[in-house]
Amino acid sequence: MSTQEFSAAFEALTAPAARMALAPLLALGVGVLVFLLCDVVAALRAARAPVFVGALILAAAAEVRILLGERAPGLVFDGTFAADRATALWGLMFVGATLLAWLASLGYYRENRPFKPEHDALMLTTPIGMMLMIGARDLVVFFVGLELLSIPLYALCAFRRMRQESVEAGVKYFLLGSFSSALFLYGAALLYAAAGTLSLVELAERDLSAPLALAGLALVAASLFFKVAVFPFQLWAPDVYQGSPTPVTALMATGTKAAAFGFLLVQLTPILPATGRATVAVLALVTMLLGNLGALVQTDLKRMLAYSSVAHAGTLLLLVAAGMGAPDEHGALGAALYYLGGYLFTAMGAFGLLGLLEADGARFTRLESLRGLARSRPVVSALLALFMLSLGGIPATAGFLGKWFVFAVLVDADMTTVAVLAALLSTIALGYYLRVIVVLYMQPPPEELEPPRTNRWSASLVGALCGAFVLAMGLFPALFLGLLGS
Amino acid sequence: MSVPTDHLLALAAALFALGVLGFLVRKNVIIVLCSIELMLNAANLSFLAASRHWSQSTLAGQGDPSAGPIFAIFVILVAAAEAAVGLALVIALYRLKQSVALDGIAELRG
Repeated sequence: MSTQEFSAAFEALTAPAARMALAPLLALGVGVLVFLLCDVVAALRAARAPVFVGALILAAAAEVRILLGERAPGLVFDGTFAADRATALWGLMFVGATLLAWLASLGYYRENRPFKPEHDALMLTTPIGMMLMIGARDLVVFFVGLELLSIPLYALCAFRRMRQESVEAGVKYFLLGSFSSALFLYGAALLYAAAGTLSLVELAERDLSAPLALAGLALVAASLFFKVAVFPFQLWAPDVYQGSPTPVTALMATGTKAAAFGFLLVQLTPILPATGRATVAVLALVTMLLGNLGALVQTDLKRMLAYSSVAHAGTLLLLVAAGMGAPDEHGALGAALYYLGGYLFTAMGAFGLLGLLEADGARFTRLESLRGLARSRPVVSALLALFMLSLGGIPATAGFLGKWFVFAVLVDADMTTVAVLAALLSTIALGYYLRVIVVLYMQPPPEELEPPRTNRWSASLVGALCGAFVLAMGLFPALFLGLLGS
Repeated sequence: MSVPTDHLLALAAALFALGVLGFLVRKNVIIVLCSIELMLNAANLSFLAASRHWSQSTLAGQGDPSAGPIFAIFVILVAAAEAAVGLALVIALYRLKQSVALDGIAELRG
């Protein structure tokens, strides 16, 4: 590289558009470093929480600047990273998920309290990975983002390292996560061997019908299916979600899923061949069926929510099927954002309240121990019931409109049969969501068990915020649709 | 005389298949980790073979020969980070159970 080329490359790095696109990532990255520094210097310990929140607020402000700015940066860094209004919206979602998960984790850990700063530093790293994934226009950038998200999560899953279920969840998530990363890498290598490029922009323009390229695409798609836990790669989700600390489960169920689905829908769906549409639709329906049937027989609320998240991933996969071969013809992206936004607040709220009830260990995640909770904890029960209704897609909640938009996209894409089947499968889900409400409100409290007395302002705040958003997204969708339309 | 690209890709595919097989059948976490490394290195070998393929003068302009080695370097870096976290998890598991066999992990059905 000559001197001129080098200085040109350097100038491209510091161009205004590149700075604007990089600002959210830099805010979080610098935030992690400052946070760790504050942890080492005794005099700065009190500044840790403000640094954590400040980094997230700065990142959110940078995303808002991209969202509302006159001109979005678009493709920067030699076409490897993109920042526009859509990625800014996804980015805001990731920042929100991290902030809520962190709030829910305040005071959650008992025996691991000395290591809480490490936990927070890892948690602050994950949104950087998610933002890289969603903005990636190059497979290298995507891979770095994926690992920047996954590696901290492996450690977070096993964070309660004196508890067997937590460490087992960590080991399991790690093994299957690295297996899926390896699938992704080999798929990327095959794509590179077939098409000669790793840029997603260029890949979309090439002819990818050669067997080598198709095998590569299939492997890359399979690795993403692993991440979002859809059939046939959904088996790990219940064990990992149940064993991990509840705030981490909340982050995995909402943030990771949003990032992986965002990449699938924005980047991969336009490249996938339209001939695979029926296969993906069938996979999605099977995922919904298995998730819902699995959830029906669970007696543990956390595990039930894990199966329900598998079912929700199936619903989102229907959008991938609808978008295949036709880049965003049917508004699949907007529907996915609304659905995932609604799911973010619903699942985060439900897991946050579960974390609040967990006095010690998993005692109060069992359904039978929640019997008659409405008498001792009316507000918590009402919010839990609201989240269950939203997960089940009852009108006036965010979940209802999310499902509505998904089915509208399916009908628009001439997949009416699939839409009808999916709607029927969704009704199975009502069986177990309503059962939770019955347990909370219509059964007598167990005599041998003390009702949970645990109370934490942070987890209550998460529940209240999520409840407000779920209702707002269900009752005043225009507020949020305006954002999507821009 | 140079080795044809197809042969290199076939070797990488065989290594990858071995890695997948090892991941699926072996019960010792350490061996499973080794299998994952094998899969990663199969991907690296494919990247480098493809990069050499695209650097041939007859194919100039059709593919980017520099992307492959760059990706391979990133893979090596990330694999090191992954191995560090993975081994830490294995140590945590060993402390709890005095064993690193996957059979010992209850409910490992995935």
